[in-house]
Amino acid sequence: MVNLRAFSLIIFFVLYSLLIPTDSWAAVKFVSAKENYVFYCVSCHGPKGLGDGINATKTQPVTPRNHTDAIKMERISDEELLSVIKDGGRALGKSTMMPSFSSTLTEVEILALKDYLRELCKCVGK
Amino acid sequence: MKQNKLLIIFSFIFCLLLFGLSDALAKSSPAGKSIFKTKGCSSCHRRKGPSVDKEFSDLQKKKGPDLWFAGSKFKAGFLATWLANPVPIRPMKFYSLREESVRDHPKLEKEDAVSVAKFLMTLKSKKVKLGVVKAKKSASGRIIFEKKQGCYGCHKFKKGRNVIGGLSGPTLIGVGSRLNPDWIYAFLKNPKDFHPVGAMPIYKGILSEADMLTLSRYLATFK
Repeated sequence: MVNLRAFSLIIFFVLYSLLIPTDSWAAVKFVSAKENYVFYCVSCHGPKGLGDGINATKTQPVTPRNHTDAIKMERISDEELLSVIKDGGRALGKSTMMPSFSSTLTEVEILALKDYLRELCKCVGK
Repeated sequence: MKQNKLLIIFSFIFCLLLFGLSDALAKSSPAGKSIFKTKGCSSCHRRKGPSVDKEFSDLQKKKGPDLWFAGSKFKAGFLATWLANPVPIRPMKFYSLREESVRDHPKLEKEDAVSVAKFLMTLKSKKVKLGVVKAKKSASGRIIFEKKQGCYGCHKFKKGRNVIGGLSGPTLIGVGSRLNPDWIYAFLKNPKDFHPVGAMPIYKGILSEADMLTLSRYLATFK
Protein backbone atom coordinates (compact mmCIF):
# COMPACT_ATOMS: atom_id res chain seq x y z
CA MET A 1 0.00 0.00 0.00
CA VAL A 2 2.79 2.42 1.02
CA ASN A 3 4.73 1.48 -2.09
CA LEU A 4 1.71 2.21 -4.25
CA ARG A 5 1.37 5.65 -2.64
CA ALA A 6 5.05 6.41 -3.18
CA PHE A 7 4.80 5.19 -6.77
CA SER A 8 1.76 7.36 -7.50
CA LEU A 9 3.51 10.39 -5.96
CA ILE A 10 6.55 9.83 -8.19
CA ILE A 11 4.29 9.50 -11.25
CA PHE A 12 2.49 12.69 -10.22
CA PHE A 13 5.74 14.70 -9.94
CA VAL A 14 7.11 13.33 -13.22
CA LEU A 15 3.89 14.25 -15.04
CA TYR A 16 3.79 17.62 -13.29
CA SER A 17 7.34 18.43 -14.34
CA LEU A 18 6.54 17.43 -17.92
CA LEU A 19 3.37 19.51 -18.05
CA ILE A 20 4.78 22.70 -16.56
CA PRO A 21 6.71 24.73 -19.13
CA THR A 22 10.35 25.37 -18.25
CA ASP A 23 9.70 29.13 -18.06
CA SER A 24 7.55 28.56 -15.00
CA TRP A 25 10.47 27.07 -13.15
CA ALA A 26 12.42 30.22 -13.83
CA ALA A 27 9.52 32.29 -12.58
CA VAL A 28 9.49 30.52 -9.24
CA LYS A 29 13.28 30.41 -8.98
CA PHE A 30 14.25 31.45 -5.49
CA VAL A 31 16.06 34.77 -5.36
CA SER A 32 17.83 35.36 -2.06
CA ALA A 33 17.30 38.54 -0.06
CA LYS A 34 20.93 39.46 -0.57
CA GLU A 35 20.58 39.12 -4.36
CA ASN A 36 17.48 41.32 -4.30
CA TYR A 37 19.23 43.83 -2.05
CA VAL A 38 22.22 44.02 -4.40
CA PHE A 39 20.00 44.33 -7.46
CA TYR A 40 17.37 46.77 -6.23
CA CYS A 41 18.63 48.54 -3.09
CA VAL A 42 22.39 49.05 -3.44
CA SER A 43 22.02 51.81 -6.05
CA CYS A 44 20.62 54.07 -3.30
CA HIS A 45 21.61 52.43 -0.03
CA GLY A 46 25.13 51.43 -1.04
CA PRO A 47 26.86 48.05 -1.26
CA LYS A 48 27.20 47.81 2.52
CA GLY A 49 23.89 49.49 3.30
CA LEU A 50 25.55 52.69 4.56
CA GLY A 51 23.18 54.92 2.59
CA ASP A 52 25.92 55.89 0.16
CA GLY A 53 24.78 54.39 -3.16
CA ILE A 54 25.46 56.08 -6.48
CA ASN A 55 22.00 57.65 -6.43
CA ALA A 56 22.77 59.43 -3.17
CA THR A 57 24.00 62.49 -5.03
CA LYS A 58 24.25 65.94 -3.47
CA THR A 59 21.31 67.07 -5.59
CA GLN A 60 18.85 64.69 -3.93
CA PRO A 61 16.41 66.13 -1.40
CA VAL A 62 16.96 63.27 1.07
CA THR A 63 19.72 60.87 2.04
CA PRO A 64 18.96 57.14 1.76
CA ARG A 65 18.63 55.30 5.06
CA ASN A 66 21.81 53.86 6.52
CA HIS A 67 20.71 50.27 7.10
CA THR A 68 23.62 49.58 9.45
CA ASP A 69 22.60 52.33 11.85
CA ALA A 70 21.21 50.16 14.65
CA ILE A 71 19.97 53.10 16.74
CA LYS A 72 17.74 54.43 13.96
CA MET A 73 16.81 51.04 12.53
CA GLU A 74 15.59 49.64 15.87
CA ARG A 75 13.11 52.52 16.09
CA ILE A 76 11.37 51.04 13.07
CA SER A 77 9.17 48.01 13.69
CA ASP A 78 9.18 44.99 11.41
CA GLU A 79 5.68 45.89 10.24
CA GLU A 80 6.88 49.38 9.31
CA LEU A 81 9.85 47.96 7.44
CA LEU A 82 7.54 45.68 5.48
CA SER A 83 5.22 48.60 4.71
CA VAL A 84 8.09 50.74 3.42
CA ILE A 85 9.40 47.97 1.16
CA LYS A 86 5.90 47.27 -0.16
CA ASP A 87 4.49 50.77 -0.46
CA GLY A 88 7.56 52.98 -0.50
CA GLY A 89 8.62 55.86 1.76
CA ARG A 90 5.15 57.39 1.66
CA ALA A 91 3.88 54.48 3.80
CA LEU A 92 5.61 56.07 6.80
CA GLY A 93 5.17 59.63 5.65
CA LYS A 94 8.77 59.64 4.41
CA SER A 95 10.21 60.53 1.03
CA THR A 96 8.73 59.04 -2.14
CA MET A 97 12.32 58.69 -3.34
CA MET A 98 12.02 55.24 -1.77
CA PRO A 99 9.80 53.48 -4.33
CA SER A 100 7.20 50.81 -3.79
CA PHE A 101 8.29 47.24 -4.50
CA SER A 102 4.92 45.54 -4.07
CA SER A 103 4.65 44.87 -7.83
CA THR A 104 8.30 43.93 -8.19
CA LEU A 105 8.97 41.53 -5.32
CA THR A 106 6.88 38.67 -3.98
CA GLU A 107 5.55 38.61 -0.41
CA VAL A 108 8.13 35.98 0.47
CA GLU A 109 10.94 38.06 -1.00
CA ILE A 110 9.77 41.15 0.90
CA LEU A 111 9.73 39.18 4.17
CA ALA A 112 13.22 37.87 3.46
CA LEU A 113 14.43 41.37 2.62
CA LYS A 114 13.11 42.64 5.94
CA ASP A 115 15.11 39.90 7.71
CA TYR A 116 18.18 40.86 5.67
CA LEU A 117 17.82 44.48 6.82
CA ARG A 118 17.78 43.23 10.41
CA GLU A 119 21.00 41.35 9.67
CA LEU A 120 22.57 44.55 8.34
CA CYS A 121 21.65 46.60 11.39
CA LYS A 122 22.21 43.71 13.79
CA CYS A 123 19.14 44.93 15.60
CA VAL A 124 15.50 44.10 16.26
CA GLY A 125 12.55 46.40 15.73
CA LYS A 126 10.72 48.26 18.47
CA MET B 1 -0.10 43.59 -82.25
CA LYS B 2 -1.21 41.12 -79.63
CA GLN B 3 2.45 40.42 -78.79
CA ASN B 4 3.11 44.15 -78.33
CA LYS B 5 0.21 44.42 -75.93
CA LEU B 6 1.50 41.50 -73.91
CA LEU B 7 4.97 43.04 -73.88
CA ILE B 8 3.60 46.33 -72.57
CA ILE B 9 1.60 44.54 -69.88
CA PHE B 10 4.60 42.47 -68.77
CA SER B 11 6.85 45.54 -68.78
CA PHE B 12 4.30 47.38 -66.66
CA ILE B 13 4.09 44.49 -64.15
CA PHE B 14 7.89 44.24 -64.08
CA CYS B 15 8.20 47.96 -63.33
CA LEU B 16 5.65 47.68 -60.54
CA LEU B 17 7.51 44.73 -59.02
CA LEU B 18 10.82 46.57 -59.29
CA PHE B 19 9.33 49.66 -57.71
CA GLY B 20 7.84 47.64 -54.87
CA LEU B 21 11.08 45.78 -54.33
CA SER B 22 13.20 48.92 -54.24
CA ASP B 23 10.75 50.50 -51.80
CA ALA B 24 10.85 47.43 -49.57
CA LEU B 25 14.65 47.37 -49.72
CA ALA B 26 14.83 51.05 -48.82
CA LYS B 27 12.57 50.47 -45.84
CA SER B 28 14.42 47.42 -44.55
CA SER B 29 17.79 49.09 -45.22
CA PRO B 30 19.97 46.07 -46.09
CA ALA B 31 22.99 48.40 -46.01
CA GLY B 32 22.23 49.29 -42.38
CA LYS B 33 21.68 45.63 -41.48
CA SER B 34 24.96 44.72 -43.12
CA ILE B 35 26.85 47.48 -41.27
CA PHE B 36 25.18 46.36 -38.03
CA LYS B 37 26.60 42.88 -38.64
CA THR B 38 30.07 43.81 -39.87
CA LYS B 39 30.66 46.37 -37.12
CA GLY B 40 29.87 43.66 -34.56
CA CYS B 41 26.94 45.55 -33.01
CA SER B 42 25.33 42.20 -32.16
CA SER B 43 28.08 41.47 -29.65
CA CYS B 44 26.52 44.08 -27.32
CA HIS B 45 22.97 44.54 -28.64
CA ARG B 46 20.24 42.02 -29.39
CA ARG B 47 18.30 42.75 -32.56
CA LYS B 48 15.94 39.81 -32.26
CA GLY B 49 13.29 39.55 -29.59
CA PRO B 50 11.59 38.82 -27.40
CA SER B 51 14.11 39.03 -24.60
CA VAL B 52 15.24 35.75 -23.09
CA ASP B 53 16.56 37.28 -19.86
CA LYS B 54 15.44 35.37 -16.82
CA GLU B 55 17.80 36.17 -14.01
CA PHE B 56 19.78 39.13 -12.69
CA SER B 57 22.95 37.49 -13.97
CA ASP B 58 21.56 37.53 -17.55
CA LEU B 59 21.30 41.27 -17.31
CA GLN B 60 24.69 41.74 -15.76
CA LYS B 61 26.30 39.85 -18.66
CA LYS B 62 24.91 42.34 -21.17
CA LYS B 63 27.04 45.21 -22.41
CA GLY B 64 24.33 47.28 -24.06
CA PRO B 65 20.58 47.64 -24.36
CA ASP B 66 18.42 45.35 -26.50
CA LEU B 67 17.55 46.92 -29.84
CA TRP B 68 14.89 44.48 -31.04
CA PHE B 69 12.23 47.13 -30.34
CA ALA B 70 14.40 50.15 -31.25
CA GLY B 71 11.94 51.29 -33.93
CA SER B 72 9.21 51.55 -31.31
CA LYS B 73 11.41 52.96 -28.56
CA PHE B 74 13.31 55.74 -30.27
CA LYS B 75 12.18 58.79 -32.14
CA ALA B 76 12.93 58.92 -35.84
CA GLY B 77 16.06 60.96 -36.37
CA PHE B 78 17.52 60.41 -32.91
CA LEU B 79 19.47 57.24 -33.70
CA ALA B 80 21.21 58.63 -36.79
CA THR B 81 22.40 61.68 -34.87
CA TRP B 82 23.43 59.61 -31.84
CA LEU B 83 25.30 56.94 -33.81
CA ALA B 84 27.36 59.65 -35.53
CA ASN B 85 28.13 61.27 -32.19
CA PRO B 86 27.49 58.80 -29.37
CA VAL B 87 27.25 60.45 -25.98
CA PRO B 88 26.46 58.05 -23.08
CA ILE B 89 22.78 57.93 -22.17
CA ARG B 90 23.49 56.19 -18.89
CA PRO B 91 25.70 57.99 -16.37
CA MET B 92 27.06 54.57 -15.32
CA LYS B 93 28.16 51.76 -17.61
CA PHE B 94 25.33 49.40 -18.57
CA TYR B 95 23.93 48.04 -15.27
CA SER B 96 27.13 48.89 -13.41
CA LEU B 97 27.02 50.52 -10.01
CA ARG B 98 30.76 51.14 -9.95
CA GLU B 99 32.04 52.24 -13.32
CA GLU B 100 31.06 55.54 -14.82
CA SER B 101 30.22 55.64 -18.50
CA VAL B 102 32.92 56.72 -20.87
CA ARG B 103 32.54 57.75 -24.47
CA ASP B 104 33.60 54.39 -25.82
CA HIS B 105 30.68 53.54 -28.11
CA PRO B 106 31.94 53.18 -31.70
CA LYS B 107 31.27 56.27 -33.76
CA LEU B 108 29.83 55.77 -37.25
CA GLU B 109 30.35 57.88 -40.34
CA LYS B 110 27.31 60.01 -41.01
CA GLU B 111 26.19 57.94 -44.01
CA ASP B 112 26.58 54.65 -42.12
CA ALA B 113 24.81 56.12 -39.09
CA VAL B 114 21.83 57.00 -41.26
CA SER B 115 21.75 53.48 -42.77
CA VAL B 116 22.02 51.71 -39.40
CA ALA B 117 19.40 54.02 -37.88
CA LYS B 118 17.10 53.27 -40.81
CA PHE B 119 17.57 49.56 -40.20
CA LEU B 120 17.05 49.87 -36.44
CA MET B 121 13.87 51.84 -36.96
CA THR B 122 12.42 48.81 -38.78
CA LEU B 123 12.72 46.77 -35.56
CA LYS B 124 9.34 47.31 -33.99
CA SER B 125 7.38 45.76 -31.15
CA LYS B 126 3.73 44.88 -31.64
CA LYS B 127 3.17 45.85 -28.01
CA VAL B 128 3.57 49.55 -28.80
CA LYS B 129 0.67 51.39 -30.38
CA LEU B 130 2.18 54.22 -32.35
CA GLY B 131 0.89 57.78 -32.56
CA VAL B 132 -1.31 57.61 -29.46
CA VAL B 133 0.69 59.47 -26.79
CA LYS B 134 1.58 63.09 -27.46
CA ALA B 135 3.94 65.30 -25.48
CA LYS B 136 2.16 67.49 -22.97
CA LYS B 137 3.56 69.56 -20.14
CA SER B 138 1.28 69.48 -17.12
CA ALA B 139 1.29 70.18 -13.41
CA SER B 140 -0.14 66.71 -12.81
CA GLY B 141 2.74 65.16 -14.79
CA ARG B 142 5.26 67.09 -12.71
CA ILE B 143 3.56 66.02 -9.47
CA ILE B 144 3.68 62.35 -10.48
CA PHE B 145 7.32 62.64 -11.55
CA GLU B 146 8.64 64.65 -8.62
CA LYS B 147 6.26 64.06 -5.73
CA LYS B 148 4.04 61.01 -6.13
CA GLN B 149 6.97 58.92 -7.35
CA GLY B 150 10.50 60.07 -6.87
CA CYS B 151 11.55 59.18 -10.42
CA TYR B 152 14.61 61.38 -10.21
CA GLY B 153 15.88 59.22 -7.35
CA CYS B 154 17.44 57.11 -10.12
CA HIS B 155 17.22 59.32 -13.21
CA LYS B 156 18.78 62.74 -13.65
CA PHE B 157 16.87 65.51 -15.34
CA LYS B 158 16.94 69.27 -15.84
CA LYS B 159 14.99 71.24 -13.27
CA GLY B 160 15.19 74.80 -14.42
CA ARG B 161 18.85 75.46 -14.95
CA ASN B 162 20.02 72.72 -12.63
CA VAL B 163 20.66 69.05 -13.33
CA ILE B 164 19.47 66.94 -10.44
CA GLY B 165 18.81 63.28 -9.69
CA GLY B 166 20.37 59.86 -9.36
CA LEU B 167 22.78 58.03 -11.59
CA SER B 168 21.69 54.39 -11.76
CA GLY B 169 19.11 54.83 -14.49
CA PRO B 170 19.38 56.33 -17.95
CA THR B 171 19.36 60.12 -18.03
CA LEU B 172 16.04 61.78 -18.70
CA ILE B 173 17.71 64.85 -20.14
CA GLY B 174 16.66 65.08 -23.76
CA VAL B 175 14.00 62.36 -23.50
CA GLY B 176 11.68 64.49 -25.61
CA SER B 177 13.90 64.10 -28.64
CA ARG B 178 15.09 60.58 -27.78
CA LEU B 179 12.16 58.40 -26.76
CA ASN B 180 8.85 57.77 -28.41
CA PRO B 181 6.19 58.60 -25.78
CA ASP B 182 4.09 55.67 -27.04
CA TRP B 183 6.95 53.40 -25.99
CA ILE B 184 7.33 55.10 -22.58
CA TYR B 185 3.64 54.45 -21.93
CA ALA B 186 3.84 50.83 -23.12
CA PHE B 187 6.96 50.28 -21.01
CA LEU B 188 5.39 51.75 -17.86
CA LYS B 189 2.27 49.61 -18.36
CA ASN B 190 4.07 46.34 -19.04
CA PRO B 191 7.85 46.63 -18.54
CA LYS B 192 8.29 42.87 -18.84
CA ASP B 193 7.21 43.02 -22.48
CA PHE B 194 10.57 44.67 -23.11
CA HIS B 195 12.73 43.83 -20.11
CA PRO B 196 11.67 40.62 -18.31
CA VAL B 197 14.40 41.46 -15.80
CA GLY B 198 15.11 45.08 -14.96
CA ALA B 199 16.36 47.16 -12.06
CA MET B 200 13.52 49.66 -12.32
CA PRO B 201 10.63 48.84 -9.98
CA ILE B 202 7.40 47.79 -11.68
CA TYR B 203 4.73 50.50 -11.47
CA LYS B 204 1.87 48.39 -12.76
CA GLY B 205 -0.67 48.34 -9.94
CA ILE B 206 1.05 51.27 -8.24
CA LEU B 207 0.40 54.03 -10.75
CA SER B 208 -2.93 54.05 -12.56
CA GLU B 209 -2.90 53.81 -16.35
CA ALA B 210 -4.16 57.39 -16.46
CA ASP B 211 -1.18 58.51 -14.36
CA MET B 212 1.18 56.52 -16.59
CA LEU B 213 -0.25 58.29 -19.61
CA THR B 214 0.13 61.71 -17.97
CA LEU B 215 3.68 60.84 -16.95
CA SER B 216 4.59 59.61 -20.45
CA ARG B 217 3.26 62.83 -21.95
CA TYR B 218 5.17 64.89 -19.39
CA LEU B 219 8.45 63.02 -19.93
CA ALA B 220 8.13 63.59 -23.66
CA THR B 221 8.51 67.34 -23.02
CA PHE B 222 11.94 66.93 -21.38
CA LYS B 223 14.73 68.78 -23.13
